[in-house]
Amino acid sequence: MSDNNQRNFPLTGIRIVDLTNVIAGPVSTRVLAQLGAEVIKVEVPWGRAIGNIAMHTDVPGELRPYNKVASFNEVNRGKRSIAIDLAQEEGRILLREIISVSDVVIENYSPRVMGNLELSYESLLTERPDLIMVSMPALGGAGPWSSYISFGPGTDALGGLSDVTGYENGPPHKPGNYYADHNSAFHVSTGIVAALSQRRRTGKGQRMEIVLREVTMAVIGEQFLGYQLSGDAPMRMGSHHRDAAPHNVYPCRGDDEWVVIAVESDEEWRRLCDAIGNPNWSDYDRFATKPDRLDNQDELDSRITDWTRNQTNYEIMHKLQGHGVKAGAVLKSPDVLSDPHFKSRGFIDETDHEDAGTNHHPGLPFRLSRSELRMGVAAPMFAEHSDWALAELLCLEPSDIANLRDKNTTPLEPVDRTF
Amino acid sequence: MTDTALSGVYVLDLSDGMSGGYCSKVLRDLGADVIKIEAPRAGDSTRGMGPFLNGVPNIETSATFLYLNAGKQSLTLNLESYEGRKILRRLIGNSDVLVESFKPGMMDALGLGYSELEKLNLALVMASISYFGATGPYSDYEGSDLVAYAVSGYMYLTGDEDREPLKAGGSQSEYQAGMAGAMSIMAALTHRDFTGEGQHIDVSAIEALNATFDGVGYYSAYENRGVVPKRAGTRLVQREPHGAYPSTLLPCKDGWVHVHYSPSNPEGIAMLTGDERMESDDVLSEMRGHADEIDASLTEWLKDHTREEIQTLAQEIRVPFTMVQSIPEVLEDPQNTARGFFVDIEHPEAGALKYLTSPYRLPESPWHAVRAPLLGEHNRDIICGALGYSDGDFQRLKEANAI
Repeated sequence: MSDNNQRNFPLTGIRIVDLTNVIAGPVSTRVLAQLGAEVIKVEVPWGRAIGNIAMHTDVPGELRPYNKVASFNEVNRGKRSIAIDLAQEEGRILLREIISVSDVVIENYSPRVMGNLELSYESLLTERPDLIMVSMPALGGAGPWSSYISFGPGTDALGGLSDVTGYENGPPHKPGNYYADHNSAFHVSTGIVAALSQRRRTGKGQRMEIVLREVTMAVIGEQFLGYQLSGDAPMRMGSHHRDAAPHNVYPCRGDDEWVVIAVESDEEWRRLCDAIGNPNWSDYDRFATKPDRLDNQDELDSRITDWTRNQTNYEIMHKLQGHGVKAGAVLKSPDVLSDPHFKSRGFIDETDHEDAGTNHHPGLPFRLSRSELRMGVAAPMFAEHSDWALAELLCLEPSDIANLRDKNTTPLEPVDRTF
Repeated sequence: MTDTALSGVYVLDLSDGMSGGYCSKVLRDLGADVIKIEAPRAGDSTRGMGPFLNGVPNIETSATFLYLNAGKQSLTLNLESYEGRKILRRLIGNSDVLVESFKPGMMDALGLGYSELEKLNLALVMASISYFGATGPYSDYEGSDLVAYAVSGYMYLTGDEDREPLKAGGSQSEYQAGMAGAMSIMAALTHRDFTGEGQHIDVSAIEALNATFDGVGYYSAYENRGVVPKRAGTRLVQREPHGAYPSTLLPCKDGWVHVHYSPSNPEGIAMLTGDERMESDDVLSEMRGHADEIDASLTEWLKDHTREEIQTLAQEIRVPFTMVQSIPEVLEDPQNTARGFFVDIEHPEAGALKYLTSPYRLPESPWHAVRAPLLGEHNRDIICGALGYSDGDFQRLKEANAI
């Protein structure tokens, strides 16, 4: 537990109470933990769960399965853990005491839950008048749909991103995996650091709301203006581009192997022709200028496919890049793990976890020349930092701690769930 | 003047394109003052992207530029001229943040590398955003939004299983690179508050997209179980039979809906459709393993109902079904209307349009609607006003093509 708090992290000295679960909330605080904040994850007392669904199953003979939930261990890297039963009044008091010595509280419950737990922002201000509190409702804390529940992919649908994603002439599609959740997470962590910077200047905390659907709309913002200006609703166009051709994904040698090629200017087109050996068709008038290539791009795509399909995606990427043509292999998970570029930049985060072993995870997408980042620190085991929080952070008497343990207010191992 | 989260933070946005534009937009939404530095005549490349008013190319009516640069000032500078670089260096001396997105090495070639600039301003936070990052064997490769989708691994996770990989709609690598820029700039400004020293930040778009795989076992599924995560149509990539389901898009009477399992009401789907099989232990204990069956059961019910009926009926019993809305529909839906998420902003050439407000709702940091600048609109204010050049100097700079 000798955490490296003395090191040169940007957010050293910031303490964050994390009441979030699933993806968006935990990822936002994972980022802050890796920037050096001390993030205390407050867990439910019955183990690792999303709503009523446990994330782990008990297998006979398996030790501490709750410490081996891969997705939990990934989004909670670098954090501390305490389990608190918020259904008990003693649990709510304990949480309020932790909040009284913290800078930020973040939650992603549906809007009514925090009030039901008597943990509203207004009531927490009595514990910590300059508290920064963050809520991340799916659709907003006010408005006719405020009580609706939705997860990331549902906000893609409601916010317009699904409608602009898809194959040409195909139905709406789904981007990424949990893309909206991650997009929201990065906006939230940035907003928290900004609110902290304002507080250093003014002494004032505040309650920040960041709405999952609204940050999804923010990353397709140009589509809303584009529709109003041109009068045309955007069309799904696969990997084609309104203003560039060839611009697509092409099959390569092997099973489900692909490369993308993106050519905009006529100069880039000539470079592509050079790279592929100037075949006869590359001189055809119907490919000479960008408008020509856009008009004839189906034929163009099929001719390029004839060239790509017998080479590997890496061969094509390196060959075309050697001629200054924008090209990229469509990488799979094992490709990224072994790719020399990712490796040389040290992007991938490696953690060693006492119960879950060694694992790799996406790292932070930036390097700072003077600040360190807290990489390589695994997620906490269940309630791993409970003793620290009670004895060192809150300085509770041993008898009080024993009492809280007896009542399972803050257990050290998951307790049976009582509904 | 009202205080904001980033009151007193001065940002020079020397970037070209969407990623740096979004980076400094986020800082502006949080209250920073941003000067967008553009090439004379053509301006930022987003001015050429469109869509344009009535479909007619015009550097002042490009949707992409108008959205990303609302509330910023515009200064044109020719960085190939000595006078242009001199003005930039003077501005850097008085700024907190510099954002740039040239290919790695270009700033050094212009004599504007971080090691030079920190001599002008020890507290400068400089963020360099590129597709591949400033180091590593591909750092001099040519990137684009599409290339970043591919190399990041994002594209392999999007699209139908038996078809070619698909990019997401819009320009998500640009947005995520910009977001990573804003996040790291905030971290560096915090470091500066405590130490007084600035620093240089290297942001990579391919890493920014790969970072969106946190929590899905992108690497561990392969390393621990030999499973290569692969696109799964409109379903989530995870396919363990005991995993939760549905999470997919399905057709209904008047369009499409997103259907999603309910952690708080697992029997909800059976309640909606009347199909008791959907609440059997057999299905509920292995939802993902019964995905095709669940889709078929739902589709049968959905085809007789409209998107709005489905959303209302499902949400009433805490089942998170949502409508697929088109861009025109989102602009006018009741939730956005009630929340005032879009606000009218008048622009001299583009006219009055509904713009998105800031996604940050910070009561101590109010957001103000301000239009995007015309190309070079603030040249005189900045060069004569802030920097104190005379009118004669200003004229001379124009004639020398420095601005």
